[in-house]
Amino acid sequence: MNRKAILLNGQDDVATALAPLGRGELVEAAVGERRVEVTLLEKVPFGHKYALRDIAAGEEVLKYGLPIGKALEDIRAGAWVHVHNCRSDRFGHRHQKYGVNA
Amino acid sequence: MRILGYARPDGQVGIRNKVSIIYTVDCSRFVAQKLKLMFPEHTQLFGYPGGCGFQEGPVNKVTALGNHSSSAGAVVLGLGCEGTDAYKVADAIAATGRPAEAIKINEAGGDIVTIEKASRALVSLIQQASTAERVEMAPADLVVGSECGGSDATSGLASNPLTGAAGDLLIEAGGTYMHEEVSELMGCADVLAERAVNVEVADDIRAAIEASEKACFEGGRFSWGYGNIEGGLTSIEEKSYGCLAKSGSKPLEGVLRTYGSLAGRKGYFISMSEPGSGTFSGDPEGINQFAAHGCHLAMFTTGCGSTTGGLIPVIKLLANPNRMQLIADNVDFDATPIVRGERTLDEMAPELYQEILAVAAGKLTKSEIHGHFEA
Repeated sequence: MNRKAILLNGQDDVATALAPLGRGELVEAAVGERRVEVTLLEKVPFGHKYALRDIAAGEEVLKYGLPIGKALEDIRAGAWVHVHNCRSDRFGHRHQKYGVNA
Repeated sequence: MRILGYARPDGQVGIRNKVSIIYTVDCSRFVAQKLKLMFPEHTQLFGYPGGCGFQEGPVNKVTALGNHSSSAGAVVLGLGCEGTDAYKVADAIAATGRPAEAIKINEAGGDIVTIEKASRALVSLIQQASTAERVEMAPADLVVGSECGGSDATSGLASNPLTGAAGDLLIEAGGTYMHEEVSELMGCADVLAERAVNVEVADDIRAAIEASEKACFEGGRFSWGYGNIEGGLTSIEEKSYGCLAKSGSKPLEGVLRTYGSLAGRKGYFISMSEPGSGTFSGDPEGINQFAAHGCHLAMFTTGCGSTTGGLIPVIKLLANPNRMQLIADNVDFDATPIVRGERTLDEMAPELYQEILAVAAGKLTKSEIHGHFEA
């Protein structure tokens, strides 16, 4: 079976779409022993991420087993995760100077 | 896989057997290129594409490349009036036991006489190189680099982690693996410091990344833009982790800041360019930097489809299925099954590792067959 998403580390909170995915789609992502199936709450473009679990506002979001930023709001499993609901503390505040929208 | 290397008088063992043609100034580059085209199969060309003044950095690098494990000997070409003395470069190479000859164009008497003298010297050195003793190499003897260029979303998701996983396998076999591009490790200082084998290495990588971050903040030139966000990257950290994915999972043994500092050590390293030693630019510079640090070969991940080669064999990986249709002629390892969702990283990493061993054993890469010389 072709996988629709890639999970890069067993600790991750997000998986990445390997194709454009639609709302309501049931998507499985797996790495090693871990296998997570979620129903997408909204569409997720190719290369973008969706939440594998409910993430509370303020929690770190892990990809590659490492924090890519913190949740700006509660994010439900199956939701698209991107600059609208996840931000990096370290570089994010520089966005005005560098044109960074994250 | 049986790997038969070429023994050098200084104890190194190479996976290729080339005579180096080295130019010490822009003015001798033309003649050096002519000579490279006369003996394309058996020579490698590089040099210092600069002016008259002597600069230590580039000369160190050119010397390191002349003393690379794949270099059996050298012809060093100068114009004669520049600060970098071709005889001294040849002497530094000869000091390792490799035969080296220097010719200065304005002493020899112009292009034609220089080409005559140099080509005669090359014939002799190439024939001598062909008698190099062959010795068996183990995977533990290999030093391999990983570079990304022309990256896209598939680089961080598939090809970069794949090289990291293959690097892990090489280290498990006792070998040495490195990547570079500290400027693309924004926000990775803590992670890498935790992986460092001791406090000194932890401080070293922290200092290297912090210096690079500072330069980015001050210069306002982060490698970050709307294309990244549209492509699905949420933060600079996420983009950097895509680059860091080349690092695999092994402890960080050291940061290589000067050529020769690897000194036979094994495991995972991050390599940097010696300050002021840039002899080329962009990705060819990265490949040749690996060579100067002692890499036998390099993996090179690309998403957009870079065709770069270099002084060492380059295993070109591509994971973008759309791009593969355009650039397959230049690709050595097809990582698209990961992005098509047909295969996993874990399944494909051993295949990439086997490809490393095959190239070490003599399998030619596309850039070698095409005859790339970025010099």
